Amino acid sequence: MRPQTRVALHRCITTPRVVAGLMLVAAIVTVAVLAHWIAPHDPQEQDLLNILLPPSWSAAGVPDYPFGTDSLGRCVLSRVLFGARVALYVACLAATGAMLLGTLLALVAGYFGGWVDWIISRIVDIWMAFPPVILALILLVGLGTGVNKVILAIVLIDWTRFCRVIRSDVMVIRRKDYVAAARLAGFSHGQTILKEVLPAVVPLLITLFSLEMGIAVIVEAIMSFVGMSVEPNVAAWGVMIADARQFMNQSPWGVIIPVFAIFITVLAFNLTGDGLRRALDPRLMTSRGDV
Amino acid sequence: MEVLEARNLSVSLVGVDVLRHISFTLRRGRVLGLVGESGAGKSMLGRVIARDLPTAFKVRSGALTFQGHDLVTIAGEKHRELLGDSIAFIPQEPLTALNPVLTIGQQFDEHLGRLGVPQADRRTRMITALGNVLLHDPVTLLDRYSFQISGGMCQRVLIAMAFASEPALIVADEPTTALDVSTQAHIVQIMRKMQRDHGTALLFITHDLRLAAHVCDDILVLYAGDIVERGPARTLTAMARHPYTLALQAANPPLDGPAHRLATLPEQMPGIGAFTTLPGCRFAPRCPVADEECGRAVPPLREIAPHHFVRCSGACLTQGAKASAPEPLPVATTTPGVPVLVLKDVAKHYPGERDWLGRRRPGTDAVKAINLTVRAGEFVGIVGESGSGKSTVAKLIMGLEPITAGRIAIDGNDVSVNDSAARQVRLGTLQMVFQDPQSALNPRRPVGRLITQSLEAARSTASEADRVMRARALLAETGLSADLLQRFPSQLSGGQKQRVNIARALCVTPRLLVADEIVSGLDVSVQAQILNLLLDLRRDRGIGLVFISHDLSVVRYLCSRVLVMQHGAVVEQGDAEAVLGRPQHPYTQSLIAAVPPEDPDRPWPCNSP
Repeated sequence: MRPQTRVALHRCITTPRVVAGLMLVAAIVTVAVLAHWIAPHDPQEQDLLNILLPPSWSAAGVPDYPFGTDSLGRCVLSRVLFGARVALYVACLAATGAMLLGTLLALVAGYFGGWVDWIISRIVDIWMAFPPVILALILLVGLGTGVNKVILAIVLIDWTRFCRVIRSDVMVIRRKDYVAAARLAGFSHGQTILKEVLPAVVPLLITLFSLEMGIAVIVEAIMSFVGMSVEPNVAAWGVMIADARQFMNQSPWGVIIPVFAIFITVLAFNLTGDGLRRALDPRLMTSRGDV
Repeated sequence: MEVLEARNLSVSLVGVDVLRHISFTLRRGRVLGLVGESGAGKSMLGRVIARDLPTAFKVRSGALTFQGHDLVTIAGEKHRELLGDSIAFIPQEPLTALNPVLTIGQQFDEHLGRLGVPQADRRTRMITALGNVLLHDPVTLLDRYSFQISGGMCQRVLIAMAFASEPALIVADEPTTALDVSTQAHIVQIMRKMQRDHGTALLFITHDLRLAAHVCDDILVLYAGDIVERGPARTLTAMARHPYTLALQAANPPLDGPAHRLATLPEQMPGIGAFTTLPGCRFAPRCPVADEECGRAVPPLREIAPHHFVRCSGACLTQGAKASAPEPLPVATTTPGVPVLVLKDVAKHYPGERDWLGRRRPGTDAVKAINLTVRAGEFVGIVGESGSGKSTVAKLIMGLEPITAGRIAIDGNDVSVNDSAARQVRLGTLQMVFQDPQSALNPRRPVGRLITQSLEAARSTASEADRVMRARALLAETGLSADLLQRFPSQLSGGQKQRVNIARALCVTPRLLVADEIVSGLDVSVQAQILNLLLDLRRDRGIGLVFISHDLSVVRYLCSRVLVMQHGAVVEQGDAEAVLGRPQHPYTQSLIAAVPPEDPDRPWPCNSP
């Protein structure tokens, strides 16, 4: 491992934001994976005798339902735990997809420049001019509803974030003499991009990926709130908020708890991303004199 | 009157002295040169004066007295006052020292305001000051930005600003290193004139012993934080005694007189981390005449002639340090037959940008119809100042940029159009060594994978074992140790990086190397090692070389033929001895006149700016 990589890793694991963020992410992943075993109830199981129960710590609470129940008497805790699965599934796949698409186009645009760059950059400009949520709704109307369609919509909208940032980095690296040297050593364009240019943008990619996961969680919540994401019989945080919204005056907890779950998840991804950005930013590293 | 006096000044980094017991005096109206290679600690002194030491560096002992004030212990308030009025600095990078979003006038005005010049007088003061540094048309200059004027003009502005407060002391840290030779001559001349007129004391920090000999009254030679030799400039250069000073002189190829192989020192200056392992003379491991005693105790600074001090044990001094007789320079043998490279009327035109109506603005002719023939085993030099188009020629030869006119042939094959066939022809024959190893070596590749990079290319069939073997052979051939295989570029010294850079170019066994300013960023002693390496490669491999450089003496040392370029055109070409010995074109003559001559008694700079 080269010393800079070691320094960068060391800096990552000593940055409080990264540590806190990664611990939260790890906790959420664990909960999502083990939801089946740790949830007290089936998320769809209805207990119509115990509807709109408050959490167990309030006077009217029941120990059997730690976070209370919703209007159909379903266990809020269990639904939150299972909802984490949907959130993480969308976060991972959507962020990966957006990263792949955005980075591919960024590499092509930044490396080749000229008219290729012009076309890709103009597409990004136009794409970014649309309000993202409206664009997502339009796309979902066209594509149909469903959680995989939501992922596709996020990929189709958010690749521009990756493309714009990565492209400018690629353009800087493209002008380095070692890229010219790789060509003179007989590397094809593809080899040069994969072996010389791509590794240099990986730190930035990791950072953007982490921030994108947070964004994807929010977009999924919005889409399930308006009923365009998961099937009605699947527990998702947005669905929970939508269901509990009508009874918010009688039982505010049904809204507060899923909102809090979204908040913690997005916070975890953003803390990680922001911490990574600080730890891996080459400009900050140079000013500290250890590149 | 003493302006600046250092007494036993030591600067340390966590207990290790990076400057040891420095003592000197600088009187009014005198110039003191601080000469040393990178890592010698020469810039540290300027930073002590400015109180700008890097974190964890501390003044451990001693005093640095400026007109009776100890700059180390004086109160911060008083120190700042001195810095503005009595001590001024001339920086190394004139372009980065000026703020690009403020005009020259705004910055100068701000500076004068800080010095307490009333608003009404400032404009006249600025115009006079800029006129004094021989800038034409100071009035228009005031409204310009730093990026609109040349580096030499920026440096003149900064000199004018430094002298504006009539300071008692000026610290100039490598003020001409970033400039062209002819600009360097002008700047040095202006600095000396201003310094004489004002009776200022000047602390001149440089890596160039020859330049210092012409600029300074007294010289200190620094090596790894120690003063190794100190004396009046004339005496020190004419009768240098310390083996390091002698090595510095020997490493610099002469511009006239007989050519012989440069004597080089092994390795390079130890880094701060290695200082603790050197209890005695820090130069001992590289010293050609060191004995065991040298490694044990630090020799004292002895006065061997009036005002001439040398830090060396008696043994070295009696032996005279001149160990071996100069080796003759190997003769170039060129093979007749089809030349490796032929450029015929090659030109490069960069079209201008389109304006908002789509009309093209006039473009620039970076290279105008140049002709060049290089045979196998022949070293051809291209010299010129920055902007002369010499680096563009390298890119055109390598096919990194398409040519706009003319014809390029390699081994008789036409490669004027850079298609895949031309690429194949180039791949096996030509390689390039890039100027800046920092940018030319991928920081993510270890040395072993860097130098054998071409074996990774699609058509290569080399196995992993082949690669390691090849890497070892290349390291040995370029004088690097095999344990560098797993190191990364950031862990190498400047000289090692440049060797790696050369090793990579050699991997495909090219017959012609194109080298663009490959020694300009190196210290003289390392430069000599690289130059000799290139000569060895010619002897062992019969390799040819197109050597692009701004340094005439280096080109004379290596090349048998030379092309002088100015504004994209070749103004003079021919046999290197003839062109550099009896230059015909006025531009060549001015380039040669701008190089500080080896003999410190020859007047330099002699031309008026």
